[in-house]
Amino acid sequence: MTEAAASPAPHSVPAERHAEWLIALGALMIGCGGLLLGVQVDANRGFSGTGYAAFALGGTLALVSTIMRARETQGLPRDGSGAFAALAVFLGLAFVSGGVLAPGGPWMIAEFAALLVLALRRPRDSSRWIGSGTLWLLVALFLFRLWITYQGSRNHWQLLSVPIPILSWLPFDFLAPIQYVALGSFTPWELGLPPAGVDFPITLGLWSGGFTLCAAGLFVVQLAAREHQNDRVHDVIHTLPAPVAGLVERLLPEDEWETLGLHGQPTRLLCKRIEALVRERAQRQREFVQAFERAQLLGSTRADDFSGAIQAALTELEPRPANPRSPEANP
Amino acid sequence: MAGSSKSPTATRVVMALAGVLFVFALLVRGSKPAAIVRPEDKPSEGPQIEQPLQLLARGAALRVAELDRWVSKDQEPEWKAVRGSTFALKECPATMDWLDGAEGQRFGRCVAALRGGTREDAFAALVLVFQLARASEWKPGLRGHIEHAERLGALLEGWLRSWSARSASDPLLVEPALSAVLLYGRVMRVAWRAPVLGYNKAPYERARALLLEIAGESAHRSEFGQALAARHPVAARGLGSDFDVLEGLEEECAVLYPKLVGDCEDR
Repeated sequence: MTEAAASPAPHSVPAERHAEWLIALGALMIGCGGLLLGVQVDANRGFSGTGYAAFALGGTLALVSTIMRARETQGLPRDGSGAFAALAVFLGLAFVSGGVLAPGGPWMIAEFAALLVLALRRPRDSSRWIGSGTLWLLVALFLFRLWITYQGSRNHWQLLSVPIPILSWLPFDFLAPIQYVALGSFTPWELGLPPAGVDFPITLGLWSGGFTLCAAGLFVVQLAAREHQNDRVHDVIHTLPAPVAGLVERLLPEDEWETLGLHGQPTRLLCKRIEALVRERAQRQREFVQAFERAQLLGSTRADDFSGAIQAALTELEPRPANPRSPEANP
Repeated sequence: MAGSSKSPTATRVVMALAGVLFVFALLVRGSKPAAIVRPEDKPSEGPQIEQPLQLLARGAALRVAELDRWVSKDQEPEWKAVRGSTFALKECPATMDWLDGAEGQRFGRCVAALRGGTREDAFAALVLVFQLARASEWKPGLRGHIEHAERLGALLEGWLRSWSARSASDPLLVEPALSAVLLYGRVMRVAWRAPVLGYNKAPYERARALLLEIAGESAHRSEFGQALAARHPVAARGLGSDFDVLEGLEEECAVLYPKLVGDCEDR
């Protein structure tokens, strides 16, 4: 045991992990996306910012979402890469949320309220920062923002202009005020458009690219951050001698580490937690085997039904007969 | 895993780059759009025609002689003669009838010649056209005679086609050119809506094509279109209408020239 602990582990973890590289790459995508979502191009091909109002609300949503997730997982980033991933995800959420909100007016508040309700909901899967429902809502709000910007670029300050049947067919000017109904009107100031007007095709390209980059970057950083946390747990387990570490990993499979609360814990607590979990699972395993050995009920079952299948599965747990040629059998 | 690992330096560099991008992404949101500086607000260099809009207004006759020294020497005799006859119009003739007469033909030649000259010549040509609009009758009336409005519209159209783009950054011509496009909108709208029932489509379509050419689409406004949007937002907004692109122009024209409606009331 002492000799095994002194020797290097056969599957040593390299110092530079793939997860860190992915975190950096995802953060770069989020940075590029945030930059693209923050600019608009006017008719003179001049660049200007989209303002801080929507971004501030996006930041609030990101903060709420982060707090809710931290409450759920009870973990915090414990090293530089983890903290950078958390920062990237926070900013990514703020960029995406701010990028899909209308730039001002009642539309922005209504959209903010809808996103806030989703952010306050308990996440169904704590490993994901954005649920699929929220993602689809973000896409819908983004399309809505593109639509109102398009309408504004054409100097149409309403969502839709619906012709009233019969009245709109009559060629009388005095009927003009009642021939069409404007749905969802807004003003140029609410949209924050530049004085020279917005160049919609270029702005559309920038915002779409920004949204896609941010969403993809968020996805990459989420996966990488999870992998990075798994690497931490893996490192701690592999401070044990290799055979023991292998047994621990059989008792605590890697895909359960996050749900078992091993992510985001300080190293000392992580060790204690692993120790407790190993003890608990080993004890459970032992109790189960003992209970099985004592059970006499299975003899009355048939092999072709449910109870028979259970019996067959449990039979596999019976200790195999010792190999007569093994050193333990022939001391 | 080890095979796909990147060097720590590369990872740190990418993280630093991402951090810089985060900062830029935050800062760029606060950048303000470039303010529109009107050409007439720029500091003037050398002598210039003061308050050019007065020469397009009702009291133009009081100052029109000032233009004599600005018009090119080779155009000056003709300019003086035509300005004299145009500003002497009293009987409110029908626009096309007068243009087809001897004085009117001379007027047409003079306006065309001035339009091809210097910017001061072009301004003088516009002064003549405005005076004609003020002193002749182009209102269609109940019988729907739109030919007079069409001829006046053609004069304005020719001037705008030649000078609108150049005028956008010209402190002398920018306001007169915008006034010209407002009057053009009113004249063509009158021709379009002349029939008691229905519309004349030809003048409307012609006007729409010209406005699209000189002001651009709403998403790609020309410099002239931007100047129009900065000074007359209702008119510029109206250009994007699916139903009546001229309504905004007429509304703004009614503010600037309330009596210039083609019945000589504004003389």
